[in-house]
Amino acid sequence: MLSPYGLDIIESCFTCKLRADRIFCDLPAAALQSFEAIKYATAYPKGAVLFVEGQAPRGIFVLCKGRVKLSISSSDGKTLILKIAEPGEVLGLSATVSGKPYELTAETIDPCQVNFVKREDFLRFLREHSDACFRVAEQLSDKYNAACHEIRSLGLSHSAAEKLAKLLLEWSSKNGEAQKQEPRLKLALTHEEIAQMIGTSRETVTRLFADLKKRQIVQAKGSTLLIRNKAALKQLASS
Amino acid sequence: MESATYPSCFSCELRPDRIFCDLPADALQAFDAIKSVSLFPRGATLFAEGRQPRGIFVLCDGRAKLSICSDNGKRLMLRIAGPGEVLGLSSTLAGKPYEITAEALDASQVVFVKRKDLLRFLRDHREACLQVVHLLSGDLHTAYERVRSIGLTRTRRPRAPRPRV
Repeated sequence: MLSPYGLDIIESCFTCKLRADRIFCDLPAAALQSFEAIKYATAYPKGAVLFVEGQAPRGIFVLCKGRVKLSISSSDGKTLILKIAEPGEVLGLSATVSGKPYELTAETIDPCQVNFVKREDFLRFLREHSDACFRVAEQLSDKYNAACHEIRSLGLSHSAAEKLAKLLLEWSSKNGEAQKQEPRLKLALTHEEIAQMIGTSRETVTRLFADLKKRQIVQAKGSTLLIRNKAALKQLASS
Repeated sequence: MESATYPSCFSCELRPDRIFCDLPADALQAFDAIKSVSLFPRGATLFAEGRQPRGIFVLCDGRAKLSICSDNGKRLMLRIAGPGEVLGLSSTLAGKPYEITAEALDASQVVFVKRKDLLRFLRDHREACLQVVHLLSGDLHTAYERVRSIGLTRTRRPRAPRPRV
């Protein structure tokens, strides 16, 4: 079968093997059946914009495959990346539920499969299926906790070095690397994007990385970063 | 600190104006059965950041100060919650430690619902669950607003324009 952007499109949620692991998708059969009826499976290339902040909410986007960059921007063009959404996340949820404009911009950074559900359909679906409603509440709670986390790191950190150290530690705690003495992580973002994640300039990020390398705290091999001195990084993060 | 009798939500005159409290009769009856009412003095902590979630707190009257704290003890005020607001909702639902600290600003009457009871209540009552989804969406909106104001405003004063030669 010819598939767009090298993606294997999963047409039906019933045949999706990954469903059981995902908070939102793991619905009882009846709810899943009606979800099937209202969703549109779509594929997007890398760099496509799913929705823009300030737009009236059209509906929700369930991310099936690929990753999506969520950001907010100011009127003078500064951008802050809130997070990189992973498969299984539901995007545009709070705006769709409350009817207020989207508060974030979502842009794909890989080729993505996205299941779109229109707002009216989704609201009706929520009213009819209390299990789904509960899942949505859980997703929203997670997002709220993440937002609080972001506020804490932006509002209470002293320096860009501290924020970068925190970000690297957070990334290195994923994929079972946390236990290792020298965790390894893959830098999927450019310096520019990392700068936008911690609210500083690209130049500062490059300078901080150079400094970390010089002090032998991290070591770079291509896009892979090896944390040589975790203790020193922790020290930086809590200074 | 707890009063001897729990006043029923049915007798509350302010109920129709409040997003969460305005529940259908059967849901309200079930809510009445699982809630407990407490009075908190001014300055009392309802819940503290980092603690395991015990349940939700509905502010009947009085205000509460919501703040967030860093590892080294710096504190950031988030906002003041007013009467009718539900606090600790996201942590209670997710089962993760409280994200924020809530402290009573006035002597407040607060309705407390245990986590286990709340989860059962939400499963049984669809309207309440929808209400909760709406509340969380609203909370998320304010949180993102806050992220925007902290993360994207310049703290430094813009430099004076360089004199043209």
